[in-house]
Amino acid sequence: MFKKLTSSEGGRGLLLISPPFFYALLLMAFPLGAIILFSFWTQNFMDVDTTFTLNNYRTIIEQPIYGALLQRSLFVSGTVTLVTVVLAFPIAYFVSFHVRSDRKALWLFLITIPFWTSYLIRVFLWKVILGYNGVINTGLLNIGLIDEPLTFILYNVNAVIITLAHAFAPFAILPIFVALEKIDRSLLEASQDLGENKVMTFFRVTLPLAMPGVVAAVLIVFIPTIGDYVTPELMGGAGGKLIANMIQTQFLALNNAPLGAALAVVAMLSVTAISLVFVLLNRRWLRGRS
Amino acid sequence: MTALITLKGVNKYYGDYHALRDIDLTINAGEFFSLLGPSGCGKTTLLRTIAGLEDVSGGVVMIGGKDMAGVSANLRPTNMVFQSYAIFPHLSVAENVAFGLRRRSDLSKDDKARMVEDALSMVGLSGYGKRASHALSGGQRQRVALARALILKPKVLLLDEPLSALDKKMREQMQVELIRLQRHVGITFILVTHDQEEALVMSDRIAVMFEGEIGQLADPETLYRRPNSRRVAEFIGKMNFLSADVLALGDMIEVDVAGLGRVSVQAEQAPMALHKGAAVAGVRPETLAILFDGETTDRKLVDGVVDEVVYYGDMTYYDVRVAGIDQPLNIAMKNLIGRPVLEVGVATKVVWDERSLVLLA
Amino acid sequence: MSLRVYAIAYLIFLYAPIALLPIFAFNDARIIAFPLSGFTTDWFAALMTNTSLHTAVKNSLFIAVMTAILSTLLGICAARAGAMYRFPVKAGIMGFIMLPLVLPEIIVAVSLLVVVVQIFDMGLSHWTIIAAHVLICTPFCIAILNGAFQNLDPSMEEAAMDLGESRFSAFRLVTLPLVMPGIISSMLIAFTISLDEFIIAFFLSGVSPTMPVYIWGLMRFPAQLPVVMALGTILVALSILLLTIAELLRRRGMARAGVKDKGGFL
Repeated sequence: MFKKLTSSEGGRGLLLISPPFFYALLLMAFPLGAIILFSFWTQNFMDVDTTFTLNNYRTIIEQPIYGALLQRSLFVSGTVTLVTVVLAFPIAYFVSFHVRSDRKALWLFLITIPFWTSYLIRVFLWKVILGYNGVINTGLLNIGLIDEPLTFILYNVNAVIITLAHAFAPFAILPIFVALEKIDRSLLEASQDLGENKVMTFFRVTLPLAMPGVVAAVLIVFIPTIGDYVTPELMGGAGGKLIANMIQTQFLALNNAPLGAALAVVAMLSVTAISLVFVLLNRRWLRGRS
Repeated sequence: MTALITLKGVNKYYGDYHALRDIDLTINAGEFFSLLGPSGCGKTTLLRTIAGLEDVSGGVVMIGGKDMAGVSANLRPTNMVFQSYAIFPHLSVAENVAFGLRRRSDLSKDDKARMVEDALSMVGLSGYGKRASHALSGGQRQRVALARALILKPKVLLLDEPLSALDKKMREQMQVELIRLQRHVGITFILVTHDQEEALVMSDRIAVMFEGEIGQLADPETLYRRPNSRRVAEFIGKMNFLSADVLALGDMIEVDVAGLGRVSVQAEQAPMALHKGAAVAGVRPETLAILFDGETTDRKLVDGVVDEVVYYGDMTYYDVRVAGIDQPLNIAMKNLIGRPVLEVGVATKVVWDERSLVLLA
Repeated sequence: MSLRVYAIAYLIFLYAPIALLPIFAFNDARIIAFPLSGFTTDWFAALMTNTSLHTAVKNSLFIAVMTAILSTLLGICAARAGAMYRFPVKAGIMGFIMLPLVLPEIIVAVSLLVVVVQIFDMGLSHWTIIAAHVLICTPFCIAILNGAFQNLDPSMEEAAMDLGESRFSAFRLVTLPLVMPGIISSMLIAFTISLDEFIIAFFLSGVSPTMPVYIWGLMRFPAQLPVVMALGTILVALSILLLTIAELLRRRGMARAGVKDKGGFL
């Protein structure tokens, strides 16, 4: 059997791919299945009651707090995604089209460096920047633009959005950059040769061809942000808590893992559904144009 | 001549794709053999099954009388020059050439160094040993690949489109060098190429392949003069195809050729089995001629009108319309002293000879 | 031109928080706020004597080293299979393996927590964190190693086999040296991600916390914040050092394979 596997190209490929595949199966697919199963059970003090029930989901629907949290989470993730991608596109465009090719690696390196430094500390430093005695308030007070420190920039949803947009910047820039790099530059010359000006060339050629990168950027920002609880915990204050904080609370503080599991499932499903709708709409839009 | 490589009923499938179909082939010791065909015809696959880089799905590959089934590439008496040359970029030129000697514990370090230097001088790269391999030009890389393969004194050297990455001048120079090298070392060379001219220039024998099958196996002259099928004739050189009607078979074949008339030709001018009735007569452009003013001939003549003129410098190619043929006849003329280049529309006479015809079914 | 101004402004936005780090790490005040009050190295000195921090650092180093090795090994398998072989449902399998890249970390954390604690009833240990970190690091390793493996001419290994080497020694003598810079850079990236990861470690750590979990604990005590700043400064300096090495190695690998640098980690 082994001999047969190693003797053909397909067999060798499958043999080689199987360790990472089974690892992902065992540590991702299987636990995800487990959590779905778990969400249909109930917590009974220290034990778990394994009778199938929809009670957890009923609780989520009936108690307004969960719906509100989910809504706020999706709103925050959506806004963060929009802000991050819109801010990132010009950077990716700049590096791809206006930076000399031997300097591109350096720019990408500069962009990715902050992303690799301690996330917790970065979040905390945003608190220092946005806080009551923070950099912005001190600066604005000193130059006399304001008389009192601004309070709307910390401990609310705005602060969460700014911090997350910062944290996910490289995730948005890199896929867009890769898509822009793949564009054959003679296509742009062809468009101008055929009578379009630079702006219209951008909208009719560059942007549609960069769309796969933008879609990847949107997904890679939108999906993980729903799972972040560090930023809302540190930056959000009372009104800025999100669904991930609730999941964390259910699991670790309230010891109601099945309800936490159900919340995680609902969050995952909402994110997946929104992502699918986004991808489908995008595809239809691209096809409609061509 | 002794058979060195024998293939019997070799088949190769990639999934549903039938890459090699029942290949039977014998390649002799000391021969310069070419596998020629369009891309995707299976020639590289066939070469790789001989090297052991590709398993056969069925059939037998024998080298030097030994069945190679289950013998992996590293244990076969074959070495290969890859299309990309596959020069190891992290090793110097000398380290590349010495790569295959690593397991030869019977050789001292000095022996190996001497062998490397000999191999390099054989391919005209004396003193290049210390160079970094990624700084070499295309032609030099190819020489390193040759030295690296030949140093192991294989029974067979396999060359996978070795000249395709070189420019035209370099290619022609390397063709001559490869022939010289093959005569010098006396090893069997098997060359894969899609370039018919390259195959004709270099080979003792050529197998022309189409769609996983060998269409014709012959020496270059036979292949050119007596192609055994229309697709071989089309693939190698240019040929005019005229519809013909076979009237009688025998030692001499009676045939009525469209536009040229009724002639009788030698039986060997029909390399494939013929039946009475419809057939095709092929004639090479250079075996036809235009009769210029003041020239005479005792050959046969047919009237025509110049339809197209393509001037190549040393040659001029004419398309000449002849009554009774749909396609104009393509005729190659050397631009000798005093010969004008005719203009389109000029009436002319075409010289032809039935001995240059080849009859195909 | 205006694009360049925007790009520089964006870089300032990216670097603003990190730039503050050393300022407060050397600031002689317990409160992290302006105005600054004076220069001190006390906070760094405090780091040296904090034994529970040292334990946390040791835990994190162990986890990060194991994660780097294991995820790079898995990454090598996947990158090599992806670059060199055709096999059934390849795109599907590769996509599946890359999926942790977009999976919210909290989902990874809670699902593993459920499996380990509730289903198998095992205790949490460093190995539960390692297992989860390997899962999320492997896609990054694959992305880096893909570059190294895809630049490799597949006939290199065939040439080595044709010259008498077995399949394994062909890999060892030819492929391995050529992809080595990629392997080291992959290990450094996985090490950095694991060392910094908080969300999963918070759910899955046993009795002895990792460094980010320990820092999280410190953040609740304002008096400890300057120490966190000092620690952060050291971490940022180390990260930048490691990443610079990774980047230089990646470039050297590209040069060695004779490929033009197209830039970037991904």
